[in-house]
Amino acid sequence: MDFLSLMAFGDSGWGDEMLKGALMTVLVSISAMAIGLFVAVFGTMAKMSNSSFVRGIGNTYTTIVRGVPELLVIYLLYFGLNNAVMGIAKGVFGYDQYIELPVFLVAALAVGLISGAYSTEVIRGAFLSVPKGQVEAAKSVGMNKFLIFHRVLVPQVLRYALPGLGNVWQLTLKDTALVMVTGLVEIMRQSYVGSGSTHEPFVFYITAALLYLVLTSVSSKALNGAENWANKGVRRA
Amino acid sequence: MAISDYYFQMCDALPGREGLLNFNLMCDNLPVLLKGVPLTLELVFISLSLGLCLALGIALMRISDSRALNMIARSYVFYFRGTPLLVQIFLIYYGLAQFEAVRESFLWPFFREAYWCGILALMLNTGAYTSEIIRGGLQSVPYGQIESARAMGMSGVLLYRRIIFPIAFRQALPAYGNEMILMVKGTSLVSTVTLMEVTGIARYIIAKYWTPVEIFLIAGVIYLVINFLVTQLVKHLEHRFTPYLQHPK
Amino acid sequence: MINALEIKHLVKCFGDLEVIKDVSLTADKGDVICIIGSSGSGKSTLLRCINLLETPNSGEVWVNGELIKMGLDKKNQPQPSDHLQVDRIRTKLAMVFQSFNLWSHMTVLQNVIEAPIHVQKINKAQATKQGLELLTKVGIAEKADQYPSNLSGGQQQRVAIARALAVNPDILLFDEPTSSLDPELVGEVLKVMKSLAEEGRTMIVVTHEMGFAREVASKVIFLHQGHIEEQGTPDEIFKSPKSKRLRQFLASNLEG
Repeated sequence: MDFLSLMAFGDSGWGDEMLKGALMTVLVSISAMAIGLFVAVFGTMAKMSNSSFVRGIGNTYTTIVRGVPELLVIYLLYFGLNNAVMGIAKGVFGYDQYIELPVFLVAALAVGLISGAYSTEVIRGAFLSVPKGQVEAAKSVGMNKFLIFHRVLVPQVLRYALPGLGNVWQLTLKDTALVMVTGLVEIMRQSYVGSGSTHEPFVFYITAALLYLVLTSVSSKALNGAENWANKGVRRA
Repeated sequence: MAISDYYFQMCDALPGREGLLNFNLMCDNLPVLLKGVPLTLELVFISLSLGLCLALGIALMRISDSRALNMIARSYVFYFRGTPLLVQIFLIYYGLAQFEAVRESFLWPFFREAYWCGILALMLNTGAYTSEIIRGGLQSVPYGQIESARAMGMSGVLLYRRIIFPIAFRQALPAYGNEMILMVKGTSLVSTVTLMEVTGIARYIIAKYWTPVEIFLIAGVIYLVINFLVTQLVKHLEHRFTPYLQHPK
Repeated sequence: MINALEIKHLVKCFGDLEVIKDVSLTADKGDVICIIGSSGSGKSTLLRCINLLETPNSGEVWVNGELIKMGLDKKNQPQPSDHLQVDRIRTKLAMVFQSFNLWSHMTVLQNVIEAPIHVQKINKAQATKQGLELLTKVGIAEKADQYPSNLSGGQQQRVAIARALAVNPDILLFDEPTSSLDPELVGEVLKVMKSLAEEGRTMIVVTHEMGFAREVASKVIFLHQGHIEEQGTPDEIFKSPKSKRLRQFLASNLEG
């Protein structure tokens, strides 16, 4: 069977399944990125806090999540969360049966946790890159802390963080391939199923590669555009 | 052997399933998982070495004047940085086996082995990222220092050897340290094609005894230790090669 | 007698912009020539054409009676045709840069002995001895094992001068050597340069330091928009400038 007939849309071909997988990949990535950014805000605050205990928590989080293979993080969260929920159900409610959390939720949480660790580092670095003089100038015209934060700091941090966060997005996109082990049907899982069924692994995995390439290059173009917008008025090297 | 007896005695003293985690089990299985470490380290070392050679070639192609070489290098980097490592592994291991031409070629003894497929995938992957790190390092050498070397009559290989490469190397070191850690983590993916490194052994044990959380936890700890050691190595290298970034004695 | 340096009808363009328009000058051994002029007059470009950091579009550069051979590269841009000749000549034309350009991964001493050892193939012990003597001469021997990043601007520039002297050049080229320095550090560098002039070194200095030019130069050249507008002894230039533009330039460069 050649490529085109395998990948046709409709009942005879896998084309639409692969595209649905791609859609799922995008959805998981967006959810994970969002979760990651949310976590990163707290992570950054923790790492810049005055209490060494809080800093320790922040550092432990980023060190562990960035030092352990993503596959293990995903496995651990998948089995760990299910077991934890089952444990709570048994202990509190006496519910004995097997519980499985929605796969999408677990996948997004797992990749989100990973993404969050990298985003924390990017945002922290961006905060430290904002020249002190910017805040001092704001103080000297009488701005209060809140005003300084959202009129001076946040826009600048965004500008410095954008390239790094763009990288984290690309990483997140590619990490979603690993959630195939949870059974969630994104690009990799779909390719795996398809190649098992038709014994044409090359066709499926090449299609998967192409889909990822499209996703990463579109992201890349969009991020370049965003960087140019964020850097208007700034002379760049 | 007496030592292992002591070890397992100590393990038996740990709590079993009463708490949330079965520490007894974790302790018992640590030696089993550690058996995967040599393979993990082997994969890391070989892939990084081969990948580095490849990356040097690609980086030189990238900065060369030939448009053709430039395009080839850029496409290579684009492909391997734009697709997940897992896809690359599956394509090489499962995908290539689909073709009769490959199965009957003289390369088949390599391609049918998960070991060589894994190394090939890891090497091609790290080659792409490392070539960009090298290119970044070369481009970050301050132009003034190159000019002053030229003004003293240095050129060609001498200029590269004494001025450009040393400075580029020091600039690239932190980024390459990061790449080494990513490679250590990358080896865990070859467990999906039956290789018995740490993650592979972990999955095997779990398939038999069904205690995923405990086993994956110790596996995670093993990787943390390896990565910690890599980080220390890189810090030491940075310390040794960039004394000018430290305070004067 | 062969001149140390001779430039004949030099022309240099960057794209469509003609930066140097037909400049000719000669330097005898022991001359200290100061090139002055406003920004954009082409002074640095002229200097950089001498040691081929920029390649002239036309004209001739003779160093110690040797003509630097020119040709065209693949894109029809000017290019020296004999790279070995260029490398050799460059060791005779050491340059001190505005931004010092010391090699950041080497100590002060290593910076000074690098070219003697690797380009001139002098043995390490001899180069080190010479290097330490030169560092003492510029007054910075105690910093021999420090890295450039730990030195002030004035100290770095003095190391750069020692490094230039280490290859035993026939001509020393200075490209605005004090322009990057804080005012209080300028003096220590000018002092070293003055002592070099008094030793009889052939020096070509692009500078804004009029006081230095007046005191030390044997000839001053005023460059304006790529032409030599006026040249002469310091007395002629500073006390009785002939051209209007030179008078305007001097007026706007009143020293404090």
